[in-house]
Amino acid sequence: MDIFMDSLLRRAPGYLPEHLQLVIIPMAIAILISLPAGIIVTRPGYRRYAEKVMALFNTAQTIPPLAVIAIFFPFLGLGYGPAILALTIYALLPIARNTIAAISSVPEDVKEAARGMGMTPKEVLFHVELPLSVPVIMAGIKTSAVLTVSTAVLAALVGGKGMGAVIFAGINFFRPELILAGTIYIGMMAVILERLISLAEYMLVPAHIK
Amino acid sequence: MIRVDNITKTFPGAERHAVDRVTFNVNEGNICVFAGPSGCGKTTILRMINRLIEPDEGEIFINGENARTMNPATLRRTIGYVIQQIGLLPHRTIEQNVAIVPGLLKWPRDKTRKRVLELLEMVGLDPGEVGRKYPHQLSGGQMQRVGVARAMAADPPIMLMDEPFGAVDPIVRVRLQDEFLHLQQAFKKTICFVTHDINEAIKMGDYLVILNAGRIIQMGTPIEVLTSPADAFVRDLLGDDRGVKILDLTRSGSLMEPANALPESPGRNGCTVQAVQPVKIALEMMMKKNADQVGVCEGETIVGILTWNGIKEHINRVSGDGS
Ligand SMILES: Nc1ncnc2c1ncn2[C@@H]1O[C@H](COP(=O)(O)OP(=O)(O)O)[C@@H](O)[C@H]1O
Ligand SMILES: [Mg+2]
Repeated sequence: MDIFMDSLLRRAPGYLPEHLQLVIIPMAIAILISLPAGIIVTRPGYRRYAEKVMALFNTAQTIPPLAVIAIFFPFLGLGYGPAILALTIYALLPIARNTIAAISSVPEDVKEAARGMGMTPKEVLFHVELPLSVPVIMAGIKTSAVLTVSTAVLAALVGGKGMGAVIFAGINFFRPELILAGTIYIGMMAVILERLISLAEYMLVPAHIK
Repeated sequence: MIRVDNITKTFPGAERHAVDRVTFNVNEGNICVFAGPSGCGKTTILRMINRLIEPDEGEIFINGENARTMNPATLRRTIGYVIQQIGLLPHRTIEQNVAIVPGLLKWPRDKTRKRVLELLEMVGLDPGEVGRKYPHQLSGGQMQRVGVARAMAADPPIMLMDEPFGAVDPIVRVRLQDEFLHLQQAFKKTICFVTHDINEAIKMGDYLVILNAGRIIQMGTPIEVLTSPADAFVRDLLGDDRGVKILDLTRSGSLMEPANALPESPGRNGCTVQAVQPVKIALEMMMKKNADQVGVCEGETIVGILTWNGIKEHINRVSGDGS
């Protein structure tokens, strides 16, 4: 018990900030890329590509996370940078997919009415399409965040550190208390992030859905 | 006010023109009704007027100015548009929905708010009851009223109304029609009104444009179209009760014989109608009282007499073939 408490309270916590970085940096980059990308492919001129992009994303998401890292290993080698890149790519998918799905599903009659009243394309986007898409986009961000928290464990395998280092040390040296401690933090991080995003969602989502 | 000059539109991949060389004018303060079966191009015509679609050929002039030369968003803010599917923004309250165009025009807050309350009352809604609600909390009839209020928000001189009362049951529809005609008496907007319901067309229209497969088949006032349908298509569209519809549009005063030409007292049986009332009402009176004539009054004074034979002769005369 003592060794477990020692692992839980003294050894593992030091890896938390690293692990959070492995989640927050890829997430931030993923959001910054997939939101605008999702908006662009749903503009009238590009709409015919939306389906292809969606299909691509759907396929990409079925690749297991470890495989994503493995695929990039030959090009990027090992370390923190490649881990961030692989995690970013993996985090992109749910967000982009949900953004495209959300914006494409805004009812045509609502957009027609908005245009007919004299909203410019930009006004239609910001006053109609995006507000109506918030719940689904936020769901994508949530999925992505929870996924990234656990996927980031694998970063340790390519030298990217984080909580994975604790867990894999536990596995390598037959120290179950380390595995347990690392896993508890992973679980806690996933739950807390999920709650935080839900809170942000609650503040962003239009009142009629609440 | 609106002049449409020979417009044609073909959608990509379509076999035939959605709108085929269509020309018409809508005079200021008139309701021009576009009637015809589903798919005949009614919505497409409206959407070309506010430039949601561009015609392939032809020109549209709004107050003498070519619509092509105007900024589309600016143009649309001056034309009220009621779409077929209503299209209220689901994430905005009723008040916010009605306030959209004033918002785009950057009206001051107080002015917008006052206007919104006034409009909701005008279309028969209680602002206190529905103002803060969201569209999904309203009945179909209430939503259509909001759709009309929203289109009228910035007091546009021109309105495009695409089957504005289409999504409600017939009883509510008649009430909405009556209320709208009442408003129109006061506001005298220039209106393009689309319907596939010929009775609605006859009731609402100062002028009718009958369409089929993208082409204009006939234009004219309701009574002109009813009395001389251009072809079998229009006759079918008007229905078997064309004669009765004519009587609904004919004033008793126009068919009566002046009272002084008659020996007997015209007001006997006590059944009198006003000269401005439709002949249909006079007919109803005759049937109720089992009489074959009624007195026609202007106010309290009897001015003429309307007889069963006179009505019959009129129907035979105007509907030509006796149908
Ligand atoms: N955006 C569009 N793309 C392709 N075809 C269209 C489009 N809008 C309308 N059409 C076609 O044009 C014709 C006229 O349609 P519409 O104007 O909506 O008829 P209505 O309003 O009289 O029912 C129909 O054949 C319809 O299928
Ligand atoms: Mg239509």
